[in-house]
Amino acid sequence: MTIGSEKNIHPALSDQDWGYATISQTPTSVNPNPKKWFYFYLAAPAIILLAAITIYPFFWLIYMSFHKVGFGAVSDVFVGLKNFSRLFSDAKFIAGWGLLLKYSAICLTIQVLVGVALAVVLNNSRYEKPLITMFLMPMMVSPVVAGLLFYYLYNGTFGWYHWIFQSLGILGETSILGNSSTALYGIILVDVWQWTPLITLITLAGLKRVPQDQLEANMVDGAGSISNFFHISLPNIYPFLLIAILLRFMDNFRFIDAILVLTGGGPGNSTRLLPVYLFDVSFQFFKLGRGAAIAISLLIVTIILGMILVRVLEDPARKSTLAGDSDS
Amino acid sequence: MVAVSFNNVWKDYGDSVAVRDLNMNIKDGEFVSLLGPSGCGKSTSLRMLAGLEHITSGEIVFGDKVVNQLPPKDRDIAMVFENYALYPHKTIFDNIANPLKRAKISPSEITRRVNEAAKLLEIDHLLERRPQELSGGQKQRTAIGRAIVRQPQVYLFDEPIAHLDAKLRARMRSELKHMQFNLGVTTIYVTHDQLEALTMADRIAVMNDGVLQQFGTPQEIYENPVNSWVATFVGEPQMSLMEMSMTGEKGDAALDFFGNIISLDAASSSRLTKAGIADLLVGVRPDKASVSLQETPGAIKAEVYSRQLLGADVLVEVAIGKTRVRAKADTSFMGNVGEPCYLNFSSENLYYFNAEDGKVVER
Repeated sequence: MTIGSEKNIHPALSDQDWGYATISQTPTSVNPNPKKWFYFYLAAPAIILLAAITIYPFFWLIYMSFHKVGFGAVSDVFVGLKNFSRLFSDAKFIAGWGLLLKYSAICLTIQVLVGVALAVVLNNSRYEKPLITMFLMPMMVSPVVAGLLFYYLYNGTFGWYHWIFQSLGILGETSILGNSSTALYGIILVDVWQWTPLITLITLAGLKRVPQDQLEANMVDGAGSISNFFHISLPNIYPFLLIAILLRFMDNFRFIDAILVLTGGGPGNSTRLLPVYLFDVSFQFFKLGRGAAIAISLLIVTIILGMILVRVLEDPARKSTLAGDSDS
Repeated sequence: MVAVSFNNVWKDYGDSVAVRDLNMNIKDGEFVSLLGPSGCGKSTSLRMLAGLEHITSGEIVFGDKVVNQLPPKDRDIAMVFENYALYPHKTIFDNIANPLKRAKISPSEITRRVNEAAKLLEIDHLLERRPQELSGGQKQRTAIGRAIVRQPQVYLFDEPIAHLDAKLRARMRSELKHMQFNLGVTTIYVTHDQLEALTMADRIAVMNDGVLQQFGTPQEIYENPVNSWVATFVGEPQMSLMEMSMTGEKGDAALDFFGNIISLDAASSSRLTKAGIADLLVGVRPDKASVSLQETPGAIKAEVYSRQLLGADVLVEVAIGKTRVRAKADTSFMGNVGEPCYLNFSSENLYYFNAEDGKVVER
């Protein structure tokens, strides 16, 4: 066999087409050409479905935000950035943002504090399993049903929560939802009731993974259980916690169901959070172009905040900051 | 710096007993090694000292204070864990500084002491890094730095160098020993590696099955093991045991080893006749046994079972019936597997144990 002759380099290849044989010799991770389209056909239905339900409406949303959207025979009119520029002078839009941020901040703070505290108490407790099953129940309730449930609990004549709040002297005669200074807190309570268990669940999963030897090393170093929590457990569950916060905050930014059931944005505009206002503009007043602009503003802020959270999650240097390492 | 004692300490987990009636007095400033195979209770004993494990009964005493109920933070101990247990979210500086921070020492003092410890361990250029960026040896030195940065009463080491490569392990052995000598702090060192125990410890506590077998200096353990288990566990290559029986009358007593008669020296003879035990387990260390292809007077006929080159010499395992005996031979020994050969040893170098309970025959 002569080495120079290409055809005879390997006897197994001698009677095959040289190029094709090379491909069949490569590892399967390199897709041979004929198979590529086969995989695409397999994935195509999913891709088309995804495009139909997310990508198409998304571009339609962008289109709408630059138009005054007409109905029936009235055709769409291109208005440029007018839909956006008008938002800055829209008091309800600005107030809606304020309420949304306030609502999200309060919800998240309470949920994280209570959720983590519950997880710490539950971790390795005898009743962990039955209690966690019980805690999960609110999460399984649909938000509209949760809204209706609290609608009755808050009711000014027969509501049980109303009676408790009144007995404690927190509330006067009006129901919690009937007073513009308390209505927002009534809605916050619904979210806290429904979603704190999620934080507990995720934190609990994180606590299970805190390495025992780090806890023991810290104990030998002279730490008690409180220091152990802040210096070892918390930094270890921190990524879990951040994911829980990310999930909850994105959910809060599109929260509307329970508010529509409970207050519809009132009294006055005291619970007209931005998503509720967006709903009103688009589907009560049918100003779809302006609604689309509001939706895009929500989307942009959600993406930015989400990216910041993810950045923090990936940055190891921030972890020790949160751990309170500067406590000397 | 304090003496440490175990007084009748038991530890059980439900049905299984991890440590059985442990009694041990460790002197102030002593380097004691707990040696045993995995699951022998040595780590459990160390964790009981640290306060990480409750003791079922008995007492642990530091100085003159019973510490049974004290949590780890009040025992004034430092511990190095097998897998280092560094805090991944903290820098090396903060890892080493952790015990000082817990003790609420001033920041300038912390900086000074951490730098001092880091310099001693040659990790002062790594202080800004995080544990996951370090090699195994550097992690291990960080873990030791965290232990020595504070002057505790007792150091506890739980197989600290088990995961290092052989070369680094040899270097760390001498460094740890040197450091302990300089600091003079009572140290308890758990290991399953007898070489670590023999080279570093002032005294070794050999444990098996939750029971302390023998507690003595490395030399005592090596030369006068109290039972056949300790004798075969300590020493590398392992001691061989042979079943023999006593024959002959007082005065000309000898050992019968499957028909081979082994004559005894005066000391062994009087020791064995005094004990009057018929069935014996007789041990011989490989370096005290010799093997050759030529027949010599008094040699036992055997068969080559395996031949392993150790470098300077050869470890030959020979078979006499079902018994196997290891002997060191010169590299010129060329016996092949299955070939007949002749085993020779002198009775002065033998270890005698009672075949019934494995206990050493009294001198």
